[in-house]
Amino acid sequence: MNSTELSELLSRVRAGDMDAWGELYRTHAPAIFRFCRRALPAREDAEDATNEVFMKVRAKLGTYDSSRPFTAWLYKVASNHCWDMLRRRRIRQDLETGDLETLPLEHPDPDQLEKLQIEHTSKEVRNGLAKLPDRARMALVLRYFGDMSYDEIAETLGVRRAFVGVLLLRARHQLRAILQGGAESAHEATAGGRL
Amino acid sequence: MTDSGTSHIESPHFDEMTGLLYLEQQLDDVRSKGIQSHANTCESCRELLRVLKNEGVWLREAMLGDEEPIPARLIGAPAKGTAPWGWMAALGFGAAGAYTLWSGFVEPWMSQASDVGFTQGNLMTMLFFSGAFWSGWGDVLNLIEFMAVATLGAVALWALRRYFRRQTTVAAVTGLLGLFLMTPFTAHAAETERGSPSYTLPAGQEIKTDLFVTADRTQIDGDVDGDLVAFSHEVEVNGHVKGDILAFTAELRMNGTVDGNVRVFSQSAVVNGAVAKNLMGFVGTLDLAEKGSVGGSATIFSSNGVFNGPVKGDVMAFAHEIDLNNLVGGNVKVRGEVFRIASTAQLSGRTVFEGPKEPDVQSGAKLATPMEVTMRRPTPEYSTARYYLHQLFWWGAAFVFGMVLLLVAPGVFLDATSQAKNVGPAMGIGLLFFAGAVFGGFIACITVVGLSVGIVLWLILAVAIYTSQIYVGEWIGEKLLGAAVGTGAILVRLALGLAIIHVIAAIPIVRVPASLVVVMWGLGAHVMAVQKRMRQQTPLPA
Repeated sequence: MNSTELSELLSRVRAGDMDAWGELYRTHAPAIFRFCRRALPAREDAEDATNEVFMKVRAKLGTYDSSRPFTAWLYKVASNHCWDMLRRRRIRQDLETGDLETLPLEHPDPDQLEKLQIEHTSKEVRNGLAKLPDRARMALVLRYFGDMSYDEIAETLGVRRAFVGVLLLRARHQLRAILQGGAESAHEATAGGRL
Repeated sequence: MTDSGTSHIESPHFDEMTGLLYLEQQLDDVRSKGIQSHANTCESCRELLRVLKNEGVWLREAMLGDEEPIPARLIGAPAKGTAPWGWMAALGFGAAGAYTLWSGFVEPWMSQASDVGFTQGNLMTMLFFSGAFWSGWGDVLNLIEFMAVATLGAVALWALRRYFRRQTTVAAVTGLLGLFLMTPFTAHAAETERGSPSYTLPAGQEIKTDLFVTADRTQIDGDVDGDLVAFSHEVEVNGHVKGDILAFTAELRMNGTVDGNVRVFSQSAVVNGAVAKNLMGFVGTLDLAEKGSVGGSATIFSSNGVFNGPVKGDVMAFAHEIDLNNLVGGNVKVRGEVFRIASTAQLSGRTVFEGPKEPDVQSGAKLATPMEVTMRRPTPEYSTARYYLHQLFWWGAAFVFGMVLLLVAPGVFLDATSQAKNVGPAMGIGLLFFAGAVFGGFIACITVVGLSVGIVLWLILAVAIYTSQIYVGEWIGEKLLGAAVGTGAILVRLALGLAIIHVIAAIPIVRVPASLVVVMWGLGAHVMAVQKRMRQQTPLPA
C-alpha cells in the first residue's frame, strides 16, 4: 500500500467508514500482534494488547501527524501501550544509576560470542527474550523489531537518552547469559558482566 | 583486553559500550573517526565490532522471524463503543436493579429494624459501626479511616508521580493528605486478658475499663465498669457489666446484670439475668429464662427462640421456631416457620407474623391488637408479572456490574474470563478459596485484633461471589456467540450469558446446585487470574 492509498484509507477511517477500518486493521494487525508477542511474554497478554492498541489507534487517529510514517506511529502507540501494561504490573528493581557502574568495560570474547550466535536458533533467542526483565526486553524489541531511534526508546521507556545504549548493552549481556546458562546467569551478568 | 601485537598508544582500545554506540551511529563524528581509525589497525577491536554487529543482525532476525499467525479472536477489527441507546438501556437496568435492591431488601430490613428500636439511618452503620454491637467501634472506625486515607494518599502520590514537577499538584496532594491526617483520632483504652485456659474475674473485683477476654472459658463474677468483649468456648456472666456485652462463644449464660446491650454470636444463649437495654443474638437457640428480662428490644436470628422472661420493648425475630410466654411491651414481628404464643403471654403492641403456617395462639393469651398474619408461599410467585420484572432488574444489575468491571478493570475482566475456560481447575480452586476465605474470616474474627479484618474479608468474599456470575456468563456467551473482539461484542456475550444463568437460577429444582456451580467456577477463575497477575508481577532480581 503506497502513501497515497494509505492516506486515503486513513481519511475514510476518520470519516467513520467501517470497511476502511477493517482494511487498516487487517493490514497492520499481524505486525502489531508480533510486536506485542515480542514485548509481552504471555500470548494472552499480546492478544489483549493488540486489541487494545487498535482501540487506541482508532480513538487517537485524529492526532496522527501524516507527515510521519504511519507504521512508525503505530509502533509508537503499541510500544507505549505494552510498556504501560508492563509498568503497571511490575515493580522494577533495577536502578539506572546502579546499572552504569556494573557494566563491564572489557571486551567480550568474540569467539565465545560468535559460538553463541551459531549454536542458538531464532526460537531459542525468542524464548530467551521472554525471560529477560521487562525493560531489557522492551529495549531490545523497540530497537531491533520496532527499529526505533534512541530518542524514541528513551521517551517510551522514560529513561535518559544517554542511558539507552547502556540499557541495550545490558540487555544483550543478560540475553547471552540466559542462552548460556539460564536466568541465574543473567543476573550474574547484570551484576558482574560476562562475555 | 590483550593487544594484538601492534602498539596503539595514540588510539587506545575502546570498550564494548563504545563499540555498540559506534555501530548504532550514536557517537559524534570525531569519536566515530577515532574508533574507525583504531579498528583499522587493531584486530581485536575490529573483531569485537564484527561480532557485535552480527549480534544485532542475529537479534533482529530472531525477532522478525516466526510468522506466527494472528489468533482467531483478533481476525476481526475491534468495534467502537456501544451505541448510546445501549448505554442508556444498561444504565436504566442498573438504576432499576439498584431500586429493586433497595426497595425489596434494604428498606424492609431498615423498616423492621426501626420498628424494634434501631433508628439509625444506615443499616451497615447500625450493625457494625455505631455502637449497636459495641461502642468501641467508633475508635476502630477512626483508625480504619486513617489507614484508608493514608493508603489513598499513597496511591494518589503514586498515580501522580509523573507530574511531580508540577508544584501545584504536589501542594494539593500533600495539603489534602495533611488535612485528613490532622483529623484527630483517639485510642481506646481497654484491658485485655488471655485465659490459660480459663479466665475468671472473681466476685468482689472490678475492672475499671472495657474488658477483652480470649479464653477457653470465661467467667465474670465481679464487676466490669465498661464493655465486656469475650471470645470463648463458654462465657458465663454472674456479675455486673456496666457497659455492653459482646460475646463470640459456643455457649453464653448470662445470670448477672448488664446495664447496656447484649450482643451475642453463639450456639446457645441463656439469659437468666437482667439486660437493661437491648438484646441481639445470632444464635442456635436462645432462652430468655423466667428470671431474665430485657429492658429494651430483642432482635434474634435463631433456630429456636423461647421468651419465658419479659421484654419491655419490641421483639423482632427471624427464626425457625419462636415461643412467646411472657410480656412484650412493644411490637412483635416474627418471620419464621413456627410461632407459638402461650396462654401466659401478654403482647402490648402490634403483632405481625410472616410464615408458611398459621401461628399457634393459646387461649388466654393477651394480644392488644388482632395478629397480622402473612402466609408466605413456599415457591416464588411465578404467576405474577412483578416476579419476572424483578428477575429482569436483577439481570440488569448484574449486567451493569459486569460492564463497569470491564470498563474499569479490563485486564482483570479478560484475565478472569480467560481463566474460566479451565472449568475443572477453576471450580476446584473456587471451592478451596471459598472454604479458606470463610475459615480465614472466622479465624480473624475470633481475635480482637482481627475482627475488622475478618468482617472486611467476608465482605470482599461477598463481592467476589456476586462477581463470579460475570465470568461464567461471559464464558457461556462466548460459547454461544463466538469470540469476536471489541467491547460491544463482549457486552453482548455477557448479556446473553447472564440471562441464561438467571433463567437457570429461577428454576426451583436446579437453583441451588446451579448457583453453587456458578459461584465456585467464577470464584476460581477470579483467583486464578489474580494469581496469574501476581506471578507476572514477581520481578526477576536485577
